[in-house]
Amino acid sequence: MLLRASGRHSGEQYDFSTINGVPATDGGIPHGLLLRGFAEAVLGRDDAVLARRRADIAGRLGPAALVDAAAVVGLFNAIDRVADATGIPLEPEKAAASVELRSALGIGKFSADAAAD
Amino acid sequence: MRADLAAGHRRAWQRLASPGTWWTGEERLAIAAEARHAAACRLCRQRAAALSPYTVGGDHDSLGTLAAPLVELIHRLGTDPGRLTRRWYDSIVVAGVAPEKYVETVAVVVTVVAVDSFARGIGAAPWSLPEVLPGRPAQVRPAAQQGGAYVPWLEPEDAGPAEADLYPPGRPPAHIYKAMSLVPAEVRGFFGDLVNTQYLPAAAMRDFDREFRAISHAQIEFLAARVSALNRCEY
Repeated sequence: MLLRASGRHSGEQYDFSTINGVPATDGGIPHGLLLRGFAEAVLGRDDAVLARRRADIAGRLGPAALVDAAAVVGLFNAIDRVADATGIPLEPEKAAASVELRSALGIGKFSADAAAD
Repeated sequence: MRADLAAGHRRAWQRLASPGTWWTGEERLAIAAEARHAAACRLCRQRAAALSPYTVGGDHDSLGTLAAPLVELIHRLGTDPGRLTRRWYDSIVVAGVAPEKYVETVAVVVTVVAVDSFARGIGAAPWSLPEVLPGRPAQVRPAAQQGGAYVPWLEPEDAGPAEADLYPPGRPPAHIYKAMSLVPAEVRGFFGDLVNTQYLPAAAMRDFDREFRAISHAQIEFLAARVSALNRCEY
């Protein structure tokens, strides 16, 4: 994961468990809670919540950050669908390098659930 | 808004209306319209709420312009992508959607998702779909073969002169680059117009000495990871 690589480069320690929603912390990412809430609102259905979180991002990080955050959320909302629809597997080297992290986050459960369907 | 982002979106939107490799511009626009319509589908809502989507039968609320297997593909991809399976993919192909058309359909749908999700994020109204452009599909198939994915993909060593530019140089392509390589034009369009502008170009992804956006690498990857978790995407 590039988040882990970014942390190694900067010497920061990130708490990856927050990626799955629990605990609701910033994970050590600057303005992580703000960004997390924004991503959840864009993918959610509550327009009023989204409006508040959009205003928070623009007010605290600036309009350019809002554009870039929305761009990333939009892109990954799409690229996840490319991966899911085409059924690409994780690259072996990435799978090997992320065994512990994926287990801790319960990521393997996603595919197990889909297979059970 | 960044000029490169605006230009990428304009190109992506124009491609929706242009003849593709396997679909005409009119057919691509019909797919795009159906992708937007899926959000209002009752069957999709029922399936999304069910323990397994495969236990809920019925007909999609569609616009009525596309064949049923194509509507199933478009709606499931739009509303419940995290629970697509190999068996489901096979059922779509058996029902008459050739893998090449399947991949191009995926590309059209995700273009709409990327741009519409961005617009929702910044609080802009969704763009109107463009006017159709005339022309015939190119119908050019690369030497893609069945590999590790549901769909056939193009290994770098099988790429001909026409696909020489398809993958970033210097390292084996990640599977996400190969995912839509059965239709090379869609790889170029998706990565060139959307990935490079909404996320980062390949060279910038691991260049942690510089920041390229108004949010940092760590913030970008944190957003990406949270979105993928919400979508239950293992990749």
